[in-house]
Amino acid sequence: MSALTIVQLYPDEMGVAGDAGNVLALSTRARRSGHATEVVRHEVGQELPANADIVVIGGGPMSAMRRIHADLMANAQTLKLWADSGVSFFAYGAGAELLSHGVTAGEAELSGVGVFPFRAERTGERVVGYLIVDSVDGPVVGFADHASRWLRNDSAESFGVVSAGVVPAGQAEGVIIGSAIATLIGGPVLPLNPDVTDAILSRALARRGETYSAGAGQEGLEEHRALDHYASEARAVIRRNAEHHFKRI
Amino acid sequence: MGFSYVLPILIGKTLRVLARLRGGGSAFPGYAALRLAPRFLHEVASQFEHGVVFVLGSNGKSTTTHMLSEVLRAHGVRVFTNPSGANLPQGIASSLLAEVSLTGRLKADIAVLEVDEAYALEFTKVLRPSTVLMLNTQVDQLYRFYETERVADMMLDTSARATEHIVTNREDPYLSKIARRIVGDQPDVTYFGASAEVIASSPHGLFNATDYRDGESSSEEHVALGELRGLEGASATVAVRDSEIEIVLPAKGLHYAIDAAAALATAAVVLGEGFVDSAAQRAFERMKPAYGRGELLQFGDEQVEFVMFKNAASLQLNLDALPEPPEQVLLAIDEGTPDISWIYDIDFSGLDHVDVITGAKAWQIALRLEHEGIPIGRVEPDLRRAIDIMRSLPKPSRGIKTWVVNYEQMMLARKLIGFGELENQR
Ligand SMILES: [Zn+2]
Repeated sequence: MSALTIVQLYPDEMGVAGDAGNVLALSTRARRSGHATEVVRHEVGQELPANADIVVIGGGPMSAMRRIHADLMANAQTLKLWADSGVSFFAYGAGAELLSHGVTAGEAELSGVGVFPFRAERTGERVVGYLIVDSVDGPVVGFADHASRWLRNDSAESFGVVSAGVVPAGQAEGVIIGSAIATLIGGPVLPLNPDVTDAILSRALARRGETYSAGAGQEGLEEHRALDHYASEARAVIRRNAEHHFKRI
Repeated sequence: MGFSYVLPILIGKTLRVLARLRGGGSAFPGYAALRLAPRFLHEVASQFEHGVVFVLGSNGKSTTTHMLSEVLRAHGVRVFTNPSGANLPQGIASSLLAEVSLTGRLKADIAVLEVDEAYALEFTKVLRPSTVLMLNTQVDQLYRFYETERVADMMLDTSARATEHIVTNREDPYLSKIARRIVGDQPDVTYFGASAEVIASSPHGLFNATDYRDGESSSEEHVALGELRGLEGASATVAVRDSEIEIVLPAKGLHYAIDAAAALATAAVVLGEGFVDSAAQRAFERMKPAYGRGELLQFGDEQVEFVMFKNAASLQLNLDALPEPPEQVLLAIDEGTPDISWIYDIDFSGLDHVDVITGAKAWQIALRLEHEGIPIGRVEPDLRRAIDIMRSLPKPSRGIKTWVVNYEQMMLARKLIGFGELENQR
């Protein structure tokens, strides 16, 4: 069987928020449960691979978004097609915004790929601090650092609802459509939240007709035990410190 | 300077004494003095024969300020400098207050000041630098600066306000392009850097941020007045103008060697013909390791080597400078570093194991290392207990334990093993 292919889009430009960690969490957990993985770093000017199982994109500054924009739009059709055919996406921050219907930042405007049913608007208000969200894939903890508002289409399903942290509880967070997740929770989020990582891997492997035995829970895989233990302790500390907001210096 | 400053200076000094009695070096006296006599700093600074140097950068400000001060002192120049990390305007005013006489006199020929990037431009309105030294732009404190290019602009805009000289990093994609922004011939621009061979021999290069807004994302090519040509452990060869100077660095690491090149280039610019190689060399020989940067402290009948990091770049360059994986390692990080997403951009393979991970973010670090398959002895978020565990481990063959720590954990750890805080120590 071919390796599970994880494509990271523009790792240099759109990867300043430790987004490599999301790729690493996916590949590590997949490998430790016996699935071979291949990580493809897609850079400007390269051709996308013929197939992908999971697409990851992360955060970056406006200048980096502009720099990769033409290449991204040239690949928009393929990415849309992948999303429509059930390929898993995990998109964080600015990268997620480029996969939406577009980003507005003051006068400037960048068109988006249209995978996710929302538009992003850059605001003057910066949100910085720990964030806890009840998501469709279970509770998620992480670190938020952005100045964006996501305007979801009426039909769009949010990834979760904020339960604590720097954003008021009850507010919708992120977007999920099919097997594609867009979120503003960083940290990066996948190493910290194995439930989400496992959900993405389960969907991606199911699409290939393979079963994924997750590491979560007491009957979990021995190979996942240390990862799960450290993640669970890290989340407990973050939960305790979540109400601690960082002052703007 | 005149009589008009006696009252504000007196008030400022009194407040300073009161603040000290209460414990801690409050910046409030400086703030009060600034409010009572807004031209106070300007007047004090106008006495400096060699002007005022601002040292800016994402990383290495304290170290470079210290190096530059020592090199100037070795030339017989009297230097005023701010205590390490006291780099906000109030802190700088406060430390000036401590030194100045009631009539506003200060016995120094030059001020070498590390200044926080976010305040530097505004600060030029009260204290106009003659020389601005820019060290580097690194992806750092995004929660505070939002985007790296914003920090770069803060530094570039500040440097353009220098009345005489800019000294900048040729190897930094943002900072190497400063000349494009200067109209006319003032301030003049001087470069420091490292030879291509030195950079190529570093496993992860220099870790400076890429300039994505520019057509050329890498740095500009220039002749460097101060160029790092060789590096072997803590021994570095820096060419200044036409001669090569052999120096001993206060700590191992490419970042410290480049800081040294920056300090030497700046000293050469400030002193002109007065710059003497042997004096510069002597300054480095005498230099003590900076606070927490390669510093060796007694720990029972063993020694602890402190390796401090502030951001991804300094952690990576510190790890790259390890000659071999250290025998016994403590790794400490707490909420003093709010966003540690970047730990996933670090190559930790310079460590073959970690004995104890500590600090409020210990579990997050353990999670990171487990993903890389690096063996972990214990995770103990409480630093005091973590230090006890380190104490109970057998003595390493070289007698040295290595503690890799962020700034806050470094300060706390020093205290816990019996080394106090000295305000002017750096
Ligand atoms: Zn001069």
